[in-house]
Amino acid sequence: MEILVCVKQVPDNEGTIDINDKGTWITCGGTFRMNRFDEFALEEAVRTGEEIPGTVIEVVSVGPGRVVSTLRKALERGAATATHILVENERYVSPFETASLIASYAVTGHYDLIITGIMAEDDMNCQTGQMIAAILKIRCATSVIHRGPVRDGASVYIEREIEEGQRLCGEVELPAVVTVQSGINRPRYPALSNVLRAKNQENRTIDAGDLWKGDVSDELISMRRPEVSTKGIFLEGGRDEKARALIKILHERALI
Amino acid sequence: MEEMIAIIAELSRGGFTRATYEVISFARELGSAGSRPVIIIPGKNVRELAEQIACASGIDAIGIEAEALDLYSAEPFKSAILNVLQDMNAAYVCLPHSVMGFDLAPGLAVDLGAACITAVEEIREDEEGTYFTRSMWGGKIRAELVPVTQRTVLTVLPGAWTAFVEESGLAGLVRVVKADPVSGASEITLKEAPGERESELTAADVIVSAGRGIGKEENLGMIRKLAGIFARGAVGASRTVCDLGWLEYKHQIGFTGKTVSPGLYIACGISGAIQHISGMKDSQMVIAINIDPDAPIFGVADYCIVEDLTEFIPALLELMETCPIS
Repeated sequence: MEILVCVKQVPDNEGTIDINDKGTWITCGGTFRMNRFDEFALEEAVRTGEEIPGTVIEVVSVGPGRVVSTLRKALERGAATATHILVENERYVSPFETASLIASYAVTGHYDLIITGIMAEDDMNCQTGQMIAAILKIRCATSVIHRGPVRDGASVYIEREIEEGQRLCGEVELPAVVTVQSGINRPRYPALSNVLRAKNQENRTIDAGDLWKGDVSDELISMRRPEVSTKGIFLEGGRDEKARALIKILHERALI
Repeated sequence: MEEMIAIIAELSRGGFTRATYEVISFARELGSAGSRPVIIIPGKNVRELAEQIACASGIDAIGIEAEALDLYSAEPFKSAILNVLQDMNAAYVCLPHSVMGFDLAPGLAVDLGAACITAVEEIREDEEGTYFTRSMWGGKIRAELVPVTQRTVLTVLPGAWTAFVEESGLAGLVRVVKADPVSGASEITLKEAPGERESELTAADVIVSAGRGIGKEENLGMIRKLAGIFARGAVGASRTVCDLGWLEYKHQIGFTGKTVSPGLYIACGISGAIQHISGMKDSQMVIAINIDPDAPIFGVADYCIVEDLTEFIPALLELMETCPIS
């Protein structure tokens, strides 16, 4: 099987981000890491590969030069090759642009499965995987919390986590895009052999502008911090004073 | 052709989801400049539901019926909806930001050549256009986006609008069409997640919830102890804590976990991402303990305690023991 895992690099800690001067994106004074949901996607790809001998896992990421560190982490965790779709500046890349870039790349391959996280922790759009599938005209299943066996390389059983503690289960025809929900698996530590291999491995780098020249469908025009809600009362004083105040509140409300 | 705003209804357990009613309110606000809403209901047997909603809302309803539309799968739903949309000039297509909604919306947008903006929380209009606000970074930042295409597919954040108010007046017109959609996933079944039935969360009066801020699994001890103080207390969790394996998913509160409305909700080390808040915002009283004064959870809390919970909760427990209230 050929599996493409799409990973995004996001700021490690939301405490290190600031809105830029124009209000059109953020600057990050701290470190970056792989989007948590994509870690689950990568692990799921590796597990699928362990079940089907001969499976090749490729990882792809769209972003500026800094994403190479996340691509290396993906190689350490078991991806065989890594492709960097290079976007020059630090700016908002919409799901449609990301999906168009990845689909433009993926169409040249023969991927049975494209796996990615259900959403990115930074922009929380929940769109990219679905758009990749629509552009490539292949099937898509989101919010996958359990993956069953691949049947004859032609379909895969999946369970999708939906509201009210329910799951929608079914057999999805390949090729397909699957977006995974957190908790689908427990990512393991990288194997030393993969870590060593990843050290010297080169990524394939493609300039985004060479890959896709379409028009974006939406623009991010401003960002702001939400107004602090005045609904709540902040308890004051030191730790013990706050604790005493809380006990008093609970007692007054007959909760204790 | 008249400009329309299409609302895609979502069905669950034989009726409309609450989120669908909220999308109707959203569409009315979006349409206040003149576009007319229409509700599209894909499903297996939807005539009665279509009549019900057309009567309650005064909005026209189009039911799309097919066996393949009984349980949700992207491809049949998309093809059935596109078929109906091709006969109308829908400037906007609105869905709830539910798992079905965000599964369907982006692919629908690609096929329509439309922009797609998800989890919308606010609409703003000026002479130059209509702008949609949504949250990023768990709610710490709000971003305003504008579509640059003729048509836009939107998903509406649950809870950002209230369910529409029934209007007396003329019922909307109802039309039901039979569809022969493309096939989607096969052998689709709906089932309960494992361990679902054992949850005590729905019966609890008091829920003490643990988030990533508890730091390590061992600190769950103090959470359990605090929950144990209350006669009908239970332990809840954010999704991250469950993903880490510290608590089973039956404790998860939020978007895809439980929705609860206890008398008291104590959020410990929970940042307050919208996925979690949507599951507990109707609690009668919310107390939040978090070391970060900007944590979004404080936006929904009645009492806010900016402290390190790993020190605050033991201190609280000790005071409760040593100074019993008579």
